[in-house]
Amino acid sequence: MALPGKKKEKEAVTYAKVTWKIVLLYVLITAFCIIVIAPLVIVFSSSLRRPENQNSPLMLFIEFSSASYVRAFSQMNYPMELLNSLMTTGLAVFCIVVLATMAAYPIGRIKSRMARFLYYFFISGLIIPSQMVIVPIAQTFHRLGIPNTRFTPVLMFITCSLPFSVFLFSGFMKGVPVEVEEAAYIDGASLWKRFSAVVFPLLKPATVSVIITQGMWIWNDYFYPMVFISRQNQYSLPVGMLQFLGDKENPAQWNILFAACVLCALPLIAIFMILQKQFINGIAAGAVKG
Amino acid sequence: MKPKKTKNGGNTSLVFRNRMYVFLIPALAFFLVLWIYPVLQLFYYSITNFNGINYDFDFVGLKNYQKIFENGTLVNSIRNTLLYACVTVVLSNLIGLAVAIALNTKIRMKGFFRTASYFPALFSAIVVGFIWSYVYMPTSGMIANLVTLFGGNGAAFNPLGNYRIALFAIAIVEVWKGFGSTMIIYLAGLQTVDESVLEAGRIDGCNEWQLTKFVKLPMIASTITINIILSVINGLKAFDYAFIMTNGGPGKSTKTLMFQIYEIAFTDQKMGRASAFSVVSFFVIIAITIVMLIIMNKREVEL
Repeated sequence: MALPGKKKEKEAVTYAKVTWKIVLLYVLITAFCIIVIAPLVIVFSSSLRRPENQNSPLMLFIEFSSASYVRAFSQMNYPMELLNSLMTTGLAVFCIVVLATMAAYPIGRIKSRMARFLYYFFISGLIIPSQMVIVPIAQTFHRLGIPNTRFTPVLMFITCSLPFSVFLFSGFMKGVPVEVEEAAYIDGASLWKRFSAVVFPLLKPATVSVIITQGMWIWNDYFYPMVFISRQNQYSLPVGMLQFLGDKENPAQWNILFAACVLCALPLIAIFMILQKQFINGIAAGAVKG
Repeated sequence: MKPKKTKNGGNTSLVFRNRMYVFLIPALAFFLVLWIYPVLQLFYYSITNFNGINYDFDFVGLKNYQKIFENGTLVNSIRNTLLYACVTVVLSNLIGLAVAIALNTKIRMKGFFRTASYFPALFSAIVVGFIWSYVYMPTSGMIANLVTLFGGNGAAFNPLGNYRIALFAIAIVEVWKGFGSTMIIYLAGLQTVDESVLEAGRIDGCNEWQLTKFVKLPMIASTITINIILSVINGLKAFDYAFIMTNGGPGKSTKTLMFQIYEIAFTDQKMGRASAFSVVSFFVIIAITIVMLIIMNKREVEL
């Protein structure tokens, strides 16, 4: 799969001839990209100023100071929040991959009305916004005696990710040849062995896609932690940002707010920069294959 | 050892026995306990005056439903949600498709443009909400500053304070964050279009516009369908920017369904009424989805 893609990009070195149409295309797309990233550039430049520097933010990069970052860093309790984010996202994504591949295994393999029903049953979860059921879910947690810990939102992350993940994995399951499993069956492999040693490794592209698409929304989600977590030392990065809600209309606090925004976004940006190709392919695979 | 045909729902495979359903149990448990059961509970809570704290609640019949219809809250938030969804679906698909078509040509720095367009998608909604609160701020915000710079009146620029355009303003934020993912999916779709088909079209005398309209778009029909479905689902969930940027205001102009439910449940502490609201939204969303799927199926057949 990876080879033809690489070849194509190599061939693309023969760029189009420079005509006025191509020039126009460049001008348009450059202008468009500037408009899109302008807010981010201004936010970044302002975050590098001292908190008191209230000159027009449009004057880009006139000062380089870490003062705003230092203030934001201490206000956010950054290391704790980063650790919480890493732990909850990691745990949630791990559970999703395990549960969803397992669920997709019978759904994708058994040919019966029951399997088809279960497939649609899971997918139906895609259309209902989960915020809607927040009231009864809070009560269910209360009734089951589940305490408000940093891992409580993980239960919701898993549930909300299941429909899409099961959908994607069962789609990919069709691409795993049945013959491989039949061979394993004849060799006397158990059901679990067949699943974990034969099928699961062949689902790798789907696994990458699920890790990236689901990991990204879970990492960025503030809603469930906001509802289920009350103690500040359990906050994840996005929830920690809620404390700045009052500052957004107070220009005097902006530089600190912007520094906090950059700090909050930084881990994911770093991961994206390193794994760009996987991100792009993962997002595309999620929608195209399924 | 031979599986009986009648007993296991038509599954006669030796290798893929019904025993495999065991694998489904953990996921199913999550789904039933934290999804299906709560949805059913909504119906129950919707006829009570439960406030989230006191469990000695009473049944109030259909009073909650009466209340949400009475003062126009429901109709208002359905209208807002639909408008928001329409704006985001149309804009993010048009912009996403346009950028994808532009980037699918042989131009330099394709990777850079692609990354720049996708970049906003990496930010948490709460960070995006903060950034755009600044962008839209009157007098000292980014756009206001630019307006002043070019001789306009920056103080008069206040999209979030105007009840006529506040909803569109936050919809644009959603588009800004979302069109990049849409674009990447379109780009992947466009790359599956075979170059030889396009070559044939060129030999037949098609210009680029005709090639796009009559060859490329029909060939990525399924990608278009998926993108539209994904963005409709996303649009109907509208909550973030109403919550972070406008708090539902000015007036009720940016109160979407999800925001309204959240507000009734957690600000007003009226869980019963919020549940009634959820029940109605539930049916509204299912109705919209069914209509959409029917239209989509038709269109795809036509294309």
